Amino acid sequence: MHHQFNSPDGPVDVTVAKQGDDWILGEHKAVLESDGRIRIHLANGVSGYATVAKVGDNWWVHFQGHTFNLERIEPGATQGGNDGGLTAPMPGKVLDVLVEEGQSVESGQTLMVLEAMKMEHRILASATGTITEVYFSAGDQVQQGSVLLAMTEEED
Amino acid sequence: MVSKVLVANRGEIACRILRACSEAGLESVAIYAENDAASLFVELADESVMLHGETIAETYLDQNQILMIAGETGADAIHPGFGFLSERADFARAVTAAGIQWVGPSANAIEKMGDKMTARITMRDAGVPVIPGEEIESTDEEEALIAIQQASTRVGYPLLLKASSGGGGKGMRAVEHPEELLDAARSARREALAAFGDGRVYLERLLTGSKHVEIQVLADRHGRTIHLGERECSVQRRHQKVFEEAPCATMTEEIRAAMGKAAVAAAMAVNYEGAGTVEFLLAPNGEFFFLEMNTRIQVEHPVTELVTGVDIVREQLRIAAGEPMSCGELHIRGHAIEVRLYAEDASNNFLPAIGPLAVFIPPEGPGIRLDTGVRQGDEVTPNYDPMLAKLIVWAPSREEALQRMRRSLEEFVVLGTTTNLRFLRELCDVPDVMEGATDTTMIDRLWPNGWSPSVPVHIEDAALMAAAVGESAGLHRLRSTPSTRSDDPSGPASPFATLNRRYP
Repeated sequence: MHHQFNSPDGPVDVTVAKQGDDWILGEHKAVLESDGRIRIHLANGVSGYATVAKVGDNWWVHFQGHTFNLERIEPGATQGGNDGGLTAPMPGKVLDVLVEEGQSVESGQTLMVLEAMKMEHRILASATGTITEVYFSAGDQVQQGSVLLAMTEEED
Repeated sequence: MVSKVLVANRGEIACRILRACSEAGLESVAIYAENDAASLFVELADESVMLHGETIAETYLDQNQILMIAGETGADAIHPGFGFLSERADFARAVTAAGIQWVGPSANAIEKMGDKMTARITMRDAGVPVIPGEEIESTDEEEALIAIQQASTRVGYPLLLKASSGGGGKGMRAVEHPEELLDAARSARREALAAFGDGRVYLERLLTGSKHVEIQVLADRHGRTIHLGERECSVQRRHQKVFEEAPCATMTEEIRAAMGKAAVAAAMAVNYEGAGTVEFLLAPNGEFFFLEMNTRIQVEHPVTELVTGVDIVREQLRIAAGEPMSCGELHIRGHAIEVRLYAEDASNNFLPAIGPLAVFIPPEGPGIRLDTGVRQGDEVTPNYDPMLAKLIVWAPSREEALQRMRRSLEEFVVLGTTTNLRFLRELCDVPDVMEGATDTTMIDRLWPNGWSPSVPVHIEDAALMAAAVGESAGLHRLRSTPSTRSDDPSGPASPFATLNRRYP
């Protein structure tokens, strides 16, 4: 799978492929552990556990005493005020919920509308798939980073 | 007698004091601003009362409100911690007048040490060496400037202008050449007047290449005033300490004895009670000079606790209750180092950072102590000081303590907010730090154009791979709070669990 991250030197393209339980990046290998950490085996023989967390669009990674904050560039253009994720980009209020559980959605479809800092933010589907959970209703207050909905992506 | 202590502070130091109260069998009261309602220290207190008001002035600095809460809860002692009201003589006086025990020295002692010029004069009279310099008492701008100019020829260059009511680097100017003096004096006076309502400044010779070394003192009402040895806190950025240790790497028995004696004399000169710290500049030739006395518990007190075995906060409570201090002869054992974990971007001029503590996993193992007021899931806000925690290690030798600190800093995982963890880790490899040859200008000297991390390419590869795997596997949708500790055995998070959590 192909991803783009922002680095100080510009966007970096990273393509990882899955082979059985392993994720492969060139000569490097990674395994997702059941506790959510990622065991990394680098081509030069270095290995260790990476701890990761996603906050908004950014992946935070800790590996061997170094901490990284990698902003993921969402595929396609970003729509105004929308971060493309299914989490609240900032504290605010749910104005409208446009989907229900079990509903099929297209990538880019508006799922929820939030009001935060006096601005409207549209929460869009990041992929084509099915909504499995809707955690908030119109009028609810949400915290920054709250998971708003859950969905399963269609296999590509 | 003291039976119930109100802690007039927040965050890390409030936690430290509340835990000491619990261990001492004392009841405790926390006070908190509304935006601190979910903070750890509120949980640690037996009782907690919310302060009305929005700003810090309306909450943690509101003396009347705090005294009222003390009355309502039946608290018979107030511990101010550090910062906030801890060095406010008027508050110490008001607390005492309300019949409540102030955990700290008398208002009179706070006043004498709080005004830096008065402190210099008091110390000189007590035979404590002060930095060569001159006090300028005049409050009239023109008169003061003339007096500063005359004094400067006697003090010599480079010199330092300091505000008498100063602190935290405000109203302080280093002057290298005589032609810069008047401009520097005007701006120092202006800054001091704006910050403290007192424009008086004094002159000190600027001692370059000196170490910042301070002595911890304890004094009780039973005639004992003792010192607990020194701490070295030379490594500072923007006049704030980041790396502190005990003992000082270059300390000799003779200097320690002389400095300890001077610190005890300083405390006795103001009839000191409780815990305090006398700060000195230690010149390369072994000469030392009084800098100032902090009339409260200090951020870096744990390094002294680890090498002396004395629980300083517990002693503060004991002394406030009128009991004799419990510690005996001074024995310094091994070496302790403390680093201050700040939410700040060390690679961008140490700019404070905010954000969620999506993951917060401190290091564990032998010889490690963590003093913090936060836990995973908390949010770092711009409302308060960006210090998240103090990581303190102890080991039999300085070299082993540094090795332990390196290991601890590498294990420490903080995700969601930028911190100075890597900066602290690299600090441990700086030759001056390894040799104990630190002085107060080290950070500026080493990184004149700012610090930036050195990251091996393969480590960066690993990070990008981890992020890509996380995204591909939908890790952020699978779990709301990634953690290596608490794997939820109940399966997928229920919507209710997700609602209670603030961060994915």
